[in-house]
Amino acid sequence: MNTQATAPSTPAPEADVQDFANMSAALTGFLSSVLKPKLDPVGLARTYYEFALSQAGASQMSALLNAFRAIQKQPPQTIADTLLETEKPNDKVSAQALLAQSIVALWYLGAWYIPGVKGSPGNNCDPGGQCNPGFPPTPLQIVSSEAYTNGLVWKVMQSHPMGYSPFTFGYWSQPPGSLSSFGVNTGNGGGQ
Amino acid sequence: MSAATPQYDVIIIGAGVSGNTIAWQLGLAGKKVLILEAGVAVPDSREEYMENFYLALAKTPESPYPAIAERKSVKDSIVQPDPAKLPTPRATVLGLGGAPDTSYLIQAQPNGRTNPPTDKNGNVRGLQFSSTYERVGGGTSWHWLGTSLRELENDIRMKTKYDVFYDWPVTYTELQPLWAKAEKTIGVAASTAQQEPLQVVGLVYPPGYQYPMGPIPMSIVDQTVSTGVAGMQVPGMLDSEGDTRLYDVFVTPTPQGRNSEPYQDRRVCAGNTNCIPICPIQAKWDPTVTLGEALDTGNVTVSYQSVAVNIAVQGKSVTQIDYLVWSKDASGKLSSVKKSVTGKLYVLAAHAIENAKLLLLSNNKQGICNSSDQVGRNLMDHVLYLSWALISENDNPIWGYRGPLATSGIESLRDGDFRKYRSAFRMEIGNEGWNFSSSDPYNTTMDYIQGTNNAQLNPNKQRLGGLALVQKLNSLFTRQFRIGVMFDQAPLAENRVTLDPTNTDGLGIPRPHIDYGLDPYTMEGFRVAKDVCTKIYQRMGATEFTKPGIGGTGDFTYKGQNYHYYGAGHVMGTHRMGNDPCTSVVDANQRSHDVPNLWIVGSGSFPTVATANPTLTLMALAFKSVQSILSALGS
Repeated sequence: MNTQATAPSTPAPEADVQDFANMSAALTGFLSSVLKPKLDPVGLARTYYEFALSQAGASQMSALLNAFRAIQKQPPQTIADTLLETEKPNDKVSAQALLAQSIVALWYLGAWYIPGVKGSPGNNCDPGGQCNPGFPPTPLQIVSSEAYTNGLVWKVMQSHPMGYSPFTFGYWSQPPGSLSSFGVNTGNGGGQ
Repeated sequence: MSAATPQYDVIIIGAGVSGNTIAWQLGLAGKKVLILEAGVAVPDSREEYMENFYLALAKTPESPYPAIAERKSVKDSIVQPDPAKLPTPRATVLGLGGAPDTSYLIQAQPNGRTNPPTDKNGNVRGLQFSSTYERVGGGTSWHWLGTSLRELENDIRMKTKYDVFYDWPVTYTELQPLWAKAEKTIGVAASTAQQEPLQVVGLVYPPGYQYPMGPIPMSIVDQTVSTGVAGMQVPGMLDSEGDTRLYDVFVTPTPQGRNSEPYQDRRVCAGNTNCIPICPIQAKWDPTVTLGEALDTGNVTVSYQSVAVNIAVQGKSVTQIDYLVWSKDASGKLSSVKKSVTGKLYVLAAHAIENAKLLLLSNNKQGICNSSDQVGRNLMDHVLYLSWALISENDNPIWGYRGPLATSGIESLRDGDFRKYRSAFRMEIGNEGWNFSSSDPYNTTMDYIQGTNNAQLNPNKQRLGGLALVQKLNSLFTRQFRIGVMFDQAPLAENRVTLDPTNTDGLGIPRPHIDYGLDPYTMEGFRVAKDVCTKIYQRMGATEFTKPGIGGTGDFTYKGQNYHYYGAGHVMGTHRMGNDPCTSVVDANQRSHDVPNLWIVGSGSFPTVATANPTLTLMALAFKSVQSILSALGS
């Protein structure tokens, strides 16, 4: 089966890719300059934008980007909460916010999770509600090996992707660097 | 045929730890050796396997190695390709509990069956065997953890000391130089001074012994558990009968087969946290290192994609090996050609389950080397209990997901009088957060993106984004840790490998059929281990999340408590060694009692599981076999 997204016949406009990166920065809590550095040999922002576009379709994608553009001057946390509709009950989340969820997962885990498809809950719950561990949803695909090795979740835990360590012998016996040294936007600034 | 000059001095079936070690040593001695390896060749670069791993939708131990899991459509779950269509299918984590079109091993336990019954002896029968293995050049130890503990003296004399199980037909003294050889071959990083406290369980090194290189530093997780258990003692048995002595609980750094300094032209460990399924930089020794050394002798040849199907025996001698050389054409169509080869001596080194399968398959399925009726029996594993917890928010984070997968353990409960009554165990401290227990970081990340609680850390089903998501996940992931407990599982004759009467692989070879269960001796070990884990977490002020249940495959109930067990990949016992040909398959040199020009090697020879991870000792035993093979060749 070919699950590869079809590359668009013409590359997406750079301005859209930049807006996608800025929106992604707010959604993920990272600096835009980390997601889309000036010197960018991997080019994940473009890869992800084009991938998400191919999955979501042009109208949904541009609707989400336009929603971002309308509030892009606001603090990053406000942008994230607005686009992800974090205040709404979980069963009332719009299709647009589900797309935003998949974009967060894409950056965090390097994989495309089909919007709204959830994992399986654990069984054998006790009266307190604690259960056996369930499973996360299975992604449609890992976008590329670079996508895996650049997953943000590993930075969130102040570590490195399992199987891709940039650190040297013995680092594990000492505490890691701060979250900001991993590119997290810990200030409440513009996130650019 | 028998009159002709043998084509090789020694034919070895299987290019894994044992096969490669023996080939290397025989090659150095100038002997001509052929290795028949069922699987594909070792790739020129491990990049190919790394790419498989990076792109795998489930990062299971088998994920880097062919054949790769797939799914038929977007809506389907990921499955292994149908074992009936593959030339060298193998047991996989994704196939566990599956029907024969996904599970290579045919398990007596029907898929999804819950709450298996207890028989009149208190044994729970009809359980799933949960360990897996590889069938590629280099073997399963592509993804061994690297743990290189020596067995304890009482591990190998359980009958004499505790009047249970069997004694090994080798002595502790005899094993010392063999372990040293294996430690040098692997490049084990450790310090004997750091191991000294384990004299309380009988771990002793010859005077002045030093490991080939200095130890691997303890992780912050290790350091935290070590501080947390300081001064802790636990009784040998939970109830007020049996061994109620108090035993010290303490943490020691684990001797590990990964480089703390450059060794054998391989790099120093960079803490990729990926020893299983694959070390990206080969800082961890694996059998392909030794295969390279074997080939460098100029006396060893490997024939890949060569599946042995019959060990031909006349009288008390192997006369030839019949094997199928398989290939796939451009369209992926599988075909094979039957060949035969002769040697003066033969070594079966194909894996504990595959060794038993081939012995039973030979001689037109009448079996060979089986006058004891022990071939395929006593199937054992370091059956594993897993517990997991979060360090308190009031304490410093412990930053898991960093360093080699495991760098320390609690070895101080591996021996004691309690072994008369219940299984001893070692406790392995994990450096990979809740990766093993709960599929993290994937599970908790998706929980907080989607508002679910599948990993049990999002009880309010929050959805977060931006810095709030970062901070929540950081606070959870940097506090996760786990302890895995591995048991000295009892050997049971009814735990066995037979030939499945109906299911075959892509070459038409019968597949292994597994009957498996656990006995009260082993399950009482689980009961004690669960209690010790919980006490450790309480003492550390950590919140335990372990909740083993009775959800289905891999669960059992014992004394009113539910448990989930895992496989450790340490498959043992299927051609056990002993001095008595009536009760064992091979002798102390792993030489068949019945067919003396055949050696049957690997952890299948272990009469008992013991309390150390098996690779180091199975390599030590391979060195012992080499001495007897050279002697039989008249060298």
